[in-house]
Amino acid sequence: MSDIIRRDPRKEWIARNRLHPEHLEVLAELGGGASPSEWTGPSGLTRRNPHAVGFIGPNGIKRIDRSGAQQAANQPGSRQAQPKDTRRRVEIEAPAFMVAVVPDLSGGRLSSHDRDLLGLARQLADADPERPGAVLAIVFGTHKETTFGEAGVDRLLEVQGDAFSGYLPETRIAALQSVEREMAPHYWLLPDSSLGGGELGRRLAVRLGERPATQVWQVEADADTDTGWRCTARGAAGTTDIARAMPRVVLALAECAEPVSETRHAAQPVELAQALPEVLGRIEDMGEVAVDPASVSLAEAEFILSAGNGVKDWDGYHHAAQVLGATKGASRVAVDDGFMPRDRQVGATGTWVSARVYVAVGISGAIQHLQGIQSCEKVVAINLDEGCDMIKRADLSVIGDASEILAALVARIERYREEQQENRDAA
Amino acid sequence: MQHDAKSSSHAGLNVAVLVTVGRHPVTARARRADQDARAVEMALSLNDAAVRLVHAGGNGDDNEEALRGYLGMGIGEINLIKQASSADVVPALVTSLRDMAPQLVLTGTRAETGEGSGLVPYLLAEALGWPVISGLAQVESIEQGVATVLQALPRGKRRRLRVRLPAIATVDSSAPAARQSAFGPARRGELAARACASVPDELQEQWHVQPARKRPKRLKIVKSASARDRFKAAAAKADSGSGQLLSDVSPEQGAEAIFNLLKEEGVLR
Amino acid sequence: MLDTLLPILFFSALALAAIGAVRRVRLWRQGRPSPVPLMRGLAAMPRRYLVDLHHVVARDKRMSNTHVATAGGFVLAALLAIVVHGFGLDSAVLAWALLAATTCMFVGSLFVAKRRRNPPPRLSKGPWMRLPKSLIAFSLGVFLVTLPTAGILPEDAGSWVLALVLTGVVAWGLGELFFGMTWGGPMKHAFAGALHLAFHRRPERFSDKQGGEGRSTGLKALRLEDPKAKLGVEKPADFTWNQLLGFDACVQCGRCEAMCPAFAAGQPLNPKKLIQDMVVGMAGGSDARYAGSPYPGKPVGEHAGEPHGPIVARQGTALVDAETLWSCTTCRACVEECPMMIEHVDAIVDMRRFLTLEHGNTPNKGAEVLDNLIATDNPGGFDPGSRMHWAADLNLPLMADKRDAEVLLWLGDGVFDMRNQRTLRALVSVLRAAQVDFAVLGNEERDSGDVARRLGDEATFQTLAKRNIATLGQYRFARIVTCDPHSFHVLKNEYGELGGNYEVFHHSTYLNDLLENGKLSLKAWKGGLVTYHDPCYLGRYNGEYEAPRSVLKALGIEVEEMARSGYRSRCCGGGGGAPITDIPGKQRIPDMRMNDVRETGAELVAVGCPQCTAMLEGVVAPRAEIKDIAELVADALVIDATAEQGTSQDEATGKARRTAEEMTP
Repeated sequence: MSDIIRRDPRKEWIARNRLHPEHLEVLAELGGGASPSEWTGPSGLTRRNPHAVGFIGPNGIKRIDRSGAQQAANQPGSRQAQPKDTRRRVEIEAPAFMVAVVPDLSGGRLSSHDRDLLGLARQLADADPERPGAVLAIVFGTHKETTFGEAGVDRLLEVQGDAFSGYLPETRIAALQSVEREMAPHYWLLPDSSLGGGELGRRLAVRLGERPATQVWQVEADADTDTGWRCTARGAAGTTDIARAMPRVVLALAECAEPVSETRHAAQPVELAQALPEVLGRIEDMGEVAVDPASVSLAEAEFILSAGNGVKDWDGYHHAAQVLGATKGASRVAVDDGFMPRDRQVGATGTWVSARVYVAVGISGAIQHLQGIQSCEKVVAINLDEGCDMIKRADLSVIGDASEILAALVARIERYREEQQENRDAA
Repeated sequence: MQHDAKSSSHAGLNVAVLVTVGRHPVTARARRADQDARAVEMALSLNDAAVRLVHAGGNGDDNEEALRGYLGMGIGEINLIKQASSADVVPALVTSLRDMAPQLVLTGTRAETGEGSGLVPYLLAEALGWPVISGLAQVESIEQGVATVLQALPRGKRRRLRVRLPAIATVDSSAPAARQSAFGPARRGELAARACASVPDELQEQWHVQPARKRPKRLKIVKSASARDRFKAAAAKADSGSGQLLSDVSPEQGAEAIFNLLKEEGVLR
Repeated sequence: MLDTLLPILFFSALALAAIGAVRRVRLWRQGRPSPVPLMRGLAAMPRRYLVDLHHVVARDKRMSNTHVATAGGFVLAALLAIVVHGFGLDSAVLAWALLAATTCMFVGSLFVAKRRRNPPPRLSKGPWMRLPKSLIAFSLGVFLVTLPTAGILPEDAGSWVLALVLTGVVAWGLGELFFGMTWGGPMKHAFAGALHLAFHRRPERFSDKQGGEGRSTGLKALRLEDPKAKLGVEKPADFTWNQLLGFDACVQCGRCEAMCPAFAAGQPLNPKKLIQDMVVGMAGGSDARYAGSPYPGKPVGEHAGEPHGPIVARQGTALVDAETLWSCTTCRACVEECPMMIEHVDAIVDMRRFLTLEHGNTPNKGAEVLDNLIATDNPGGFDPGSRMHWAADLNLPLMADKRDAEVLLWLGDGVFDMRNQRTLRALVSVLRAAQVDFAVLGNEERDSGDVARRLGDEATFQTLAKRNIATLGQYRFARIVTCDPHSFHVLKNEYGELGGNYEVFHHSTYLNDLLENGKLSLKAWKGGLVTYHDPCYLGRYNGEYEAPRSVLKALGIEVEEMARSGYRSRCCGGGGGAPITDIPGKQRIPDMRMNDVRETGAELVAVGCPQCTAMLEGVVAPRAEIKDIAELVADALVIDATAEQGTSQDEATGKARRTAEEMTP
């Protein structure tokens, strides 16, 4: 069906005019078959159903609209609010300069950190509308990302080849050096992340002989500096702010800028003119080593499944922790009773944890325990006792048998994993 | 005392650890830097390694106390390269490492004071022409000039690397925690000071340094065409406050609620 | 024939004993020097023995009488026998006296023998099992050979065979009692014990003639001036000589073992075995000949040491395992109970000092706690600037503003603990109700150093103590009141050596004073049965058993005493850094203590220590409720709205109390 609304001004006028002889018919037609609020009864009297007048507004209050617009909106053919891509398409044909970005692409996709960085790159590139720059993204190896354009990439350099699939900082630096030679980007932006960008950026800066700004979290225009930009960087393990002129190479933290959301860019593929040089690496990647999430130390863990006195089915608990990929924690009682080792104890007398999500299974929440989880962001409680202190602390509490809920959660997650697997296969 | 035996028994491997003066995150008191101390711990746990500690920088009273923290781990002495407080220590360290000719240089990822850019190991590697690896979690073996090591990845994952020596490696917080620093050996250890010409760091003098401001929390910006949606998003109460309580639900419903929260927080892999 | 044999026997036994004594003394003198007034000590020894030692022994009346009969009889008999038989003094009076002494000793020996028939597990076996026989042999033998001297039997009664047999019996007795005394037999306790009493390293702990009760419980400071000196005790020879002498005095009665909470919990500590291991180490050898209960979970015979070898090995085993030393809660139950006045806790802390200060080997969370104390002045690593956050609404007067107050309220590190904050709020409301002029140090306060010191980190303790003393020195106050017995003990007994002398009160004592002076009016107690748990650092360390009980009495509470209370109170397991070093056992000490509570049927345990509160509240329900004395008093406060209390300060009091009540679950 066509999306174009066809309005009939005559019918709308009739619908507004209650004295028009065709009023009821038109109303019924516009109302999409809803019962009219007025009709002539068998005895010839006009009957009126006041409940049928009007509609329920979005806030739950009944509204009566005599303008006729409501009826028009209720037309069966009326369009549902469909998301329409309203982004402005931007193409930069002849960029005045390049801003090179090397995203982490962890898991083959742009991370939110990468998108923030591209947003920063756009700020730098679009600062002067007269001389627009282009954002060049340099991507190594295979990836699954399809939205480079939406993220703000004008030029996309994909450096392909088996040589770039693993951890090969030396080879990557050689490739980036070629980019430097051929395209001479005005700025180099890399994420200051532990996933690789931080390391690659430092290597690159040292190789280019530039002194980079690291841990940058704010970039502002400043005419007094050479580059026209001033940046604020964290120093001394995050305890000081260093305000300085922005150098050519910037290693920026997450949320350094807003990601691109209003424009869409070409992400036009580019290639290097010369073949990449062969590098004899002195670092050899032997591949990832499987590590048991249970062996991650509690203080470092960001997702903890913690067990207490209320856990009866320990096998089920261990299985759940494994499926969830959560680090195991325990209350003092569970440790004292010998179900969990001492180094897993959470609380003021055990380890102080700072997990993003802390799931407390059958832990009533002794005060020492609650102190130990003070700095956790989200706490989920699974408990039988609705009145216990842990429930008061929790952001989400589920009352019920711990083993059943864990089993259901395990099932739900396994289903989710399967769905994901299918999606991945399909894509 | 007994500690001295370890550092004097010269054997196959020569390891240098670069240490700095740390700063306690809460009280800002000088202490041994956490990552550097882990690097020392890693060096001490290597079999048959002769471990030398190197520090370049000023040596105030506070600094001496903090450096003695490393001595308390069972090290006989620290080679102290005296530098002006505003100096760029890289040239002095390069000279010193050339003289020392260690096979492996370990250091923390980032200093806890000053710029803390984490660049020093890379600058040293570039100047010396050695490979550098970051985020060392464990040294598995060192055989015939090749070290097999585990590199720490986020979320507790590990990657195995082989690197040809001599090399520089940085150690971060995923490496084993440093042993306790004992008062007696710390007090008895030597700070072998040596003067070295300071190269001033001129760029740094132009910077404006102040205590870290709290970063503004990013707002959720709703880009919607309808004014009503934008208004609703702006006026909506933050969904914090007291937690959600699900009682009298089936295990499946409860599990679903938990699952949604886990997914929202992005902790499910 | 006896006339010739007996002197030979006596004098050769005495000579051998003298040689043995010299050898024993040389063993002790391997230890570090420690100046002791020798003559004054020897002069004080009989009083120390008869008054202080017997005060402890007399807790068991039967054994006390047995010991008086046996030991008294023996001392007298030995002296007389040397005169009568050794020198052959032919005096009927002396002979009769000797007969009486040996009879007395014989009767005592029979009781000893009776106890040895089914000995309780705390007693050591081995050579100790033959002791009653030896005692009987000596008393009987000497009695019989004295009969002719006393003129009861003719000089030549019996044949030479009988004489030989008698000589043999006497020789046996002499061998055990004279030779064995200095050559390491069971009777060594008499010889070493007497000298130990004379040269005790804490002469202050003995009572004086004026009737003053002696008490000396503060640890002795380690001298840190010499950077080259070894810190703490690494090998047996690093103890002072009189400590070694003290170990040698052990009579292996096992009273310490019966009282030790760590031993009862199955942690690898037995105070008796520890002292015996020190004796083994002093002489060199293995512990295989030890005949008492071992450290739980550690069979006898696997450890050995020597005077100049390490006590704790870095790797493998030496004389003692480190976890044995770290199991101790420093509750002093062993010291309190030891009839030989041996100082177990001193020895343990001396050895811990070496492990922490020289090895850097404080187990589990110990290293972290010590680092926190160094960096943040509190064991939890909290921001020292957030010390007063708990009292943001209380408007507590600060010493820095007032400079002068009647009472300095020492808050302790409990300010960071949400549970203890309730106690502190209660205490503040009581002090305000009594209109006490008090002030707190606020952010200037630091950890008292108690935990650091018990964990062996003397350096951190002294740093903290000196800085606290400097802070306290800036202000004028009449006394310090604290609700933490650990801070109380350290401030009162251990700061003095570093130059800080204060009048310090535990809050229970101070509240009792307030009550006795009628400063507080309380409503009657309406709750159920209440028992009281004595904190070690208040009771055994400072002898305060009465004040908390009389506060409870003033509340109208009849205390239902636990089987182990007062000086025999069982530790909660929270002292000496034990929760930090956390050595595993078969059960937990606080669980055992809550079982003691359960036996009384009490619904509420009154406590006076934040550590005890935390440890006991850590016990899984169902259990009795735990409340600090300050909370009980605050709950029962009656505040006259009329009278002179219409000031704003009392509004704050009421508010504080409400808050305290609201926070109580």
